[in-house]
Amino acid sequence: MTGKELLLQALKGETTSRPAWLPFVGCHGGFLIGKTAAEYLQSADLLVAGLKKARELYKPDGLPVIFDLQVEAEILGCRLRWADEVPPAVLGHPLAEGGNIADLPMLDETRGRFPVIVQALERLKKDIGADTALYGLICGPFTLALHLLGSDIFLDMYDDQDRVLAVIDYCAGICIKSADIYLDHGADVIAVVDPMTSQISPDHFVQFVTSAMNTVYDHIRARGGLSSIFVCGDVTRNLEVMVKTTADCICVDEQIDMARLRELCRAEGKSFGGNIKLTSVLLLGDEADAKMEALDIMEKSKTKGFILAPGCDLPYAVPVKNIQAVADMVHEEYKREVAKTLTAKIADTFDDIILPDYKSANTVLIDVITLDSTSCAPCQYMMEAVQKAAAEANTLCYIHEHKIKMRRGIGMMVKLGVKNLPAICINGEVKFASIIPDQRTLVAAIEEAAGES
Amino acid sequence: MELFSELAEKVENGQHKEVMTLVEKGIAENISVSEMLNKGLVAGMNSIGIKFRNNEVFVPEVLMAARAMKAGLAILKPVLLREKVASKGKIVLGTVKGDLHDIGKNIVCYMLQGAGFDVIDVGIDVPKETFIDAAKAEGAQIIALSSLLTTTMVYMQEVMNALHASDLNDTVKVIVGGAPVTQAYANEIGAHGYAADASTAVDVVRGLLGR
Repeated sequence: MTGKELLLQALKGETTSRPAWLPFVGCHGGFLIGKTAAEYLQSADLLVAGLKKARELYKPDGLPVIFDLQVEAEILGCRLRWADEVPPAVLGHPLAEGGNIADLPMLDETRGRFPVIVQALERLKKDIGADTALYGLICGPFTLALHLLGSDIFLDMYDDQDRVLAVIDYCAGICIKSADIYLDHGADVIAVVDPMTSQISPDHFVQFVTSAMNTVYDHIRARGGLSSIFVCGDVTRNLEVMVKTTADCICVDEQIDMARLRELCRAEGKSFGGNIKLTSVLLLGDEADAKMEALDIMEKSKTKGFILAPGCDLPYAVPVKNIQAVADMVHEEYKREVAKTLTAKIADTFDDIILPDYKSANTVLIDVITLDSTSCAPCQYMMEAVQKAAAEANTLCYIHEHKIKMRRGIGMMVKLGVKNLPAICINGEVKFASIIPDQRTLVAAIEEAAGES
Repeated sequence: MELFSELAEKVENGQHKEVMTLVEKGIAENISVSEMLNKGLVAGMNSIGIKFRNNEVFVPEVLMAARAMKAGLAILKPVLLREKVASKGKIVLGTVKGDLHDIGKNIVCYMLQGAGFDVIDVGIDVPKETFIDAAKAEGAQIIALSSLLTTTMVYMQEVMNALHASDLNDTVKVIVGGAPVTQAYANEIGAHGYAADASTAVDVVRGLLGR
């Protein structure tokens, strides 16, 4: 089964063999190929190059063609300001500056950046579309209405409800046109991204948003496509009304309890996705943080109708190794097992585990930290290499395997300062981590340690 | 007094016209303007702030209440100035350079004004010099920085550096907030306070100013 098939299976609410994996590579694609966000988000060549690079690095099951909620707004006359490391921001709001809906420009695939997007989509479909699901992201009706009206929309929701409803209705029509462009050119899934709905109450969501969104989802379904609602921001209070929409999947950010979302979605037969912490974990954390976060979410979310994704568009310069660490948790059972022990070690100070007095030993002490050499292939090869080298080395040595399946093993790992597994420590120093050295190097390292002791 | 609780209730419900009528009535009846401010307008904003923090109300409701508070304040202000009712403190507030988001910053502004502080809103996309110059010119005690983007929040560090290099270093404190900002980040850059939301911002400012 390809990653794309697995993701589509998850989107339909089915159980999958592992979680589907959808890294939201937006302007981060520009970072991957050394281009600014402004360059990247306006060029089909760069979008294709960035996403192909992301596919190679992150082994995703799906990717968004472009993550920029200003595409439609730009066509409808909002002025944009471009930046190097973030998507453009909307500067002017045409309907707040005296304009009427009837005067707004048309939207079709020849306008704005749609020719660039269509070209990128068609090329990606051909090059990576067989095994990678391609997402068409469209700006949701409420956020688009806010782009057009400015933040007056919030007061108008009380003062001039008919006008707000008319604008949101119009925006739903724009969403349908955008969805059609993506579907016509091969997108597999349409995600309606509507972050500003996190700022309104469930009652207002029902009053202003539900029906507009449903016309979009129903249209996508009638065309044979799959749809997702995606809202970043704290939507805890709005989850019930979100799962009542006709979208196939509900995607949320880090502020949402995934166990609760899972229950709500299961009751409605929907799939759900999220919600890796963007800033504290992916941007500012390290690989261990990223792994623990991914494991925690996977544990809460299980594998029925679940898509693992960041809480929002990946930050431009998010460390590549952190996203790769998440990909490892998705794809590699061995690394997942190792990472689980990392989670366990946090609560324990291992005061009772004392390291040998390496300095006063008159032999070489070799500690090999493994998951378990009887069940893990790299661990087995490392143990064999150590035993062979010890026999060959011109000195007496003792070899101890510490399996981190047991608490004592984790304690030794922590006390010895081992970060990656399997690892070889000689006389208390980490010499080789997650790499099996060649025989000559290993023998030399043992003999060197013998000379020092 | 019934007028105060009624004022607070009308502010909380966002009924700006009713608030204006009540304030005018209070002034005509020689009711204490500082009490109308504190027990009426401020109490109403405090109440909506708590509900906002508890996720009981959302942005539209806060903006409605803020509009009502400002409508009342506009009538009260000349009288307050005449009677020399002291401000609780001055805050320079803005969204940092590179960032154009203003909704969160505006809500913090309304909340702080509603709590009786003078707020100098220096807007969006604000360079460090503007924050420092405004704080100097206005004699502010606090600079409040907002950012919605992971890429722009790092500019908060530059504002901190500029403050350290200025002669305001010992007198002005900095608070930070916005979606990607955390307490850990605030600690890292040496900010004096962090507010997770607009209502908390008022508490943090009160704590820092001891009032």
